[in-house]
Amino acid sequence: MPRIEVMNGNKAAATAAALCRPDVIAAYPITPQTPVVEYLTQFAADGIIQSSMSEVESELSAMSVVTGASLAGSRTFTATSSQGLALMYEPYFRASTLRLPIVMAIINREMISPQTLWGGPQDALTVRDAGWLQIYVEDNQEILDTLILAFRLAEDKGVLLPVNICYDGFYLSHMAERVEVPDQETVDSFLPPYVPTHIKLDPKRPMAVDPLTNGNLLTEYRLRHTQGQQRALGLIEELDKEFLERFGRCYGGLIEEYRNEDSDAVLVTMGSMTGVARVAVDQARAQGRKIGLVKLRAIRPFPAQRVAEALAGKKAFGVVDRSVSFGWGTGITFQETRSAMYASGSFMPALPFIGGLGGEDVTIEHMLHAIGCIYAAIDGAAPAGTVWLNKEITAE
Amino acid sequence: MNVFEKLASSEEMVSPGISACVGCNVELTLRTVMRVLGPNTILAIPPGCMGGVGVVGWDKKSGCKNPVFFPLLDNVASMLAGIKLHYEHRGEHVNVVAFAGDGATVDAGMQCLSGAAERGDKILYICYDNEGYMNTGYQRSGSTTKGAWTSTTPVSPQGKGGKRQNKKDFPMIMAMHDIPYMATCNPAFIPDMVGKVEKAMAVDNGLAFLYIYNPCLTGWGIPSDKSIEVSRMAVDCSFAPLYEVENGRYTLSYTPKKPLRVQEYVSRIKKFSHLGQEEIEALQKLTDTKWQQLQKLCEMD
Repeated sequence: MPRIEVMNGNKAAATAAALCRPDVIAAYPITPQTPVVEYLTQFAADGIIQSSMSEVESELSAMSVVTGASLAGSRTFTATSSQGLALMYEPYFRASTLRLPIVMAIINREMISPQTLWGGPQDALTVRDAGWLQIYVEDNQEILDTLILAFRLAEDKGVLLPVNICYDGFYLSHMAERVEVPDQETVDSFLPPYVPTHIKLDPKRPMAVDPLTNGNLLTEYRLRHTQGQQRALGLIEELDKEFLERFGRCYGGLIEEYRNEDSDAVLVTMGSMTGVARVAVDQARAQGRKIGLVKLRAIRPFPAQRVAEALAGKKAFGVVDRSVSFGWGTGITFQETRSAMYASGSFMPALPFIGGLGGEDVTIEHMLHAIGCIYAAIDGAAPAGTVWLNKEITAE
Repeated sequence: MNVFEKLASSEEMVSPGISACVGCNVELTLRTVMRVLGPNTILAIPPGCMGGVGVVGWDKKSGCKNPVFFPLLDNVASMLAGIKLHYEHRGEHVNVVAFAGDGATVDAGMQCLSGAAERGDKILYICYDNEGYMNTGYQRSGSTTKGAWTSTTPVSPQGKGGKRQNKKDFPMIMAMHDIPYMATCNPAFIPDMVGKVEKAMAVDNGLAFLYIYNPCLTGWGIPSDKSIEVSRMAVDCSFAPLYEVENGRYTLSYTPKKPLRVQEYVSRIKKFSHLGQEEIEALQKLTDTKWQQLQKLCEMD
C-alpha cells in the first residue's frame, strides 16, 4: 500500500533513491542538496537501505566513486548542486561517455559570482551538452516519481546513459508538500535489478576500459551516444504511460501542456515556476486571452518534435527562463525552443524572458507581463530583445 | 622457493612489447608487482608513463591481462574506492589496485587519495615516483627534487635555474594519515618489494600505500644500462630510504653498509649536472635531517 507523507523535495528525492535499492551511494553535502545526504545516511543507519555509503571529501570524488562502482556493475546514486556540479565536471562528462547508467539529482542552484546559494537551473543547464539525460520537474511528487523512472530510463539497453533529475533549490528542496510514497513491491516490479552487459571491470571476464582510441572509433562512440539520446525520447513517453498504469500518476512525458489545445499563443516554462504560470494562464484566459502553457520536462534529449507540435499554428510564443545563455543574452531554454521551431519550418514571433535569477520570485504579475508582451508581439509591437522580468516589475 | 623462483613461477600479467623506454625500471616494477598481485586484480593506470606505453591497451589491443582502465589523473583513488565498494557489497574479494605516477599521486590526485586514506577504503595504491611528468616531456611535479632540471624548470647557459622548491615527502605524508600499511620500495631491491606487495595485499582494514622510487633514464639523463645501479645509489645515500610503517610502527628495511654521499648519487644524473657545491650540500643536509628523523621514528615503540 502506498503511504501519504508530508515531505520536502530533498526527502522526496532521498526516499525515491532508497526505493530503487542502489548498491552504492556517494555524496558530498552542499546547500541546498545537503538534506538529501543526511536523509540517505540516516536511512542507512536505520537499516532502511542496504546500500554501501561513501561519505566522500568532495564532489569530484562523489562522481568518481559512483563512476567506479558503476563500472564494476553497481546501481548508483548521488546528488549535488551548482558549485559541486562544477567541481565534478571532469568525471561528469566521462560518466556519460562511458555509458554508465548513474542517476544523479541536481538540486538546482545559481552559479557564483556574485556569491549566492539560492535556486536556479544555471548549474545543470550549463552542462546540458555533457551527454547526460536531463529531466526538470515541478513539484515534490514529480521528484519522487521521476527519480524512480530515471533508473529504468538510464539502465534501458537501448539507452544506457546517466540521468539527472533536476529540481529548484529551496522552492522544492526545502518546501513541504503532500507526497504519495509507493510501496517497495510496486517499485521492485517496475524496476528490476541492474545487470550490466556492456561494460564491467571484473577479474572473471577481464576487459580494458578506455584504451587510447583513434578518431574514427571515437566518432562511432559519439554517434551511438547520440542515438541512445534519441531513443530516450520515445522511452520517456513510454515509461510515463507505464508509470501511470502502475502508480496512477503521469506527467506528459517529454513536455506537459496546459490549456494549449485551443490556444492562439503559448507561454513556455520549466521547473517550479510552472505552478505560477498556470495561475497566470487562467487569469489571462479569464480576461479573454487564449494563451496556452507548455512545461518543458526533458531538456536532454530535447523534445524538438513535441515542442514543435505544441507550438504549431500558434501566433507567437514566449519562453521564461531562470538562466542566462551568455553570448546570446537570452535564457537557455529559449534558444533550445527556438531551434526546435526552426527545424519544424514553422515561424512566428518568439520572445525571450529572463526571471527569477538567484532565487528571486517569479510572480503571477511577472507571468502576466510576459503574456502581455506576447500579445503585443502578435500586434506587431514586440519588445526589443530579452525582457528581464525582475527588472521591469520589482517587488514592493 | 626463493623470491625469484616464486616470481618466475607466477603468471606474467603485462603483455610483451609495451613501448617503455629501453631499461625502464618502472616497467620492471609493474611486471614484478603484477606477478605478485595475480589475475584476481583490477588495475587502474592513470595518464602517465604506464598509460602512455600502452598498459591499458592501444587501438583495441590490450597491454594487460587484468581488467584494466584509465582513471582520470585526479580521481584514481576515488574510482578505485567505488569499485572496491561494489565488490565488498557483494561479499567478493578482489584486489583493487592503482599503479600511478607521482603527478597523479602527489599533485592532481592528492585530494582523492587523502580522502580514501582517511575513509579507510580498502584499496592498494602504488605510486611510482619518477619525479615529474615524464611521458609528456619531463615537466616538474611536486615530487621533483630541488635543483633538478625539468622542461618547466629550465637551466640557463650560465647554469642558473632548475626547480626552486623542495620535493614533497610523500611517503611520510601518507604514513601520517595513520593508514594500516605504508612502505617504500626501489627497483634495485626486488625481494624487498615483493615482500611489501604481499603485505600490502593482505591489508583488510584500510588503504595500503606503496611508494616506489623510480629514477627515470630518459627524463633525468641516466644511461639505460645504469638503471638499477643508479636506483640502488638513491637508497645507499639515504636519499630514498627503504622503510615500512605497519599500524604506526616504523621499521627500516635496509641500512646501507657503505653509505654514499648525495654528491655521488647526483653526479650520475644529468638533470643535476648544473648544480654547484652549495646546492648539493643543501641536498645532503636535507637528506641527513630526514634520515635522522626516520631513524628516530624507527626507535620508537
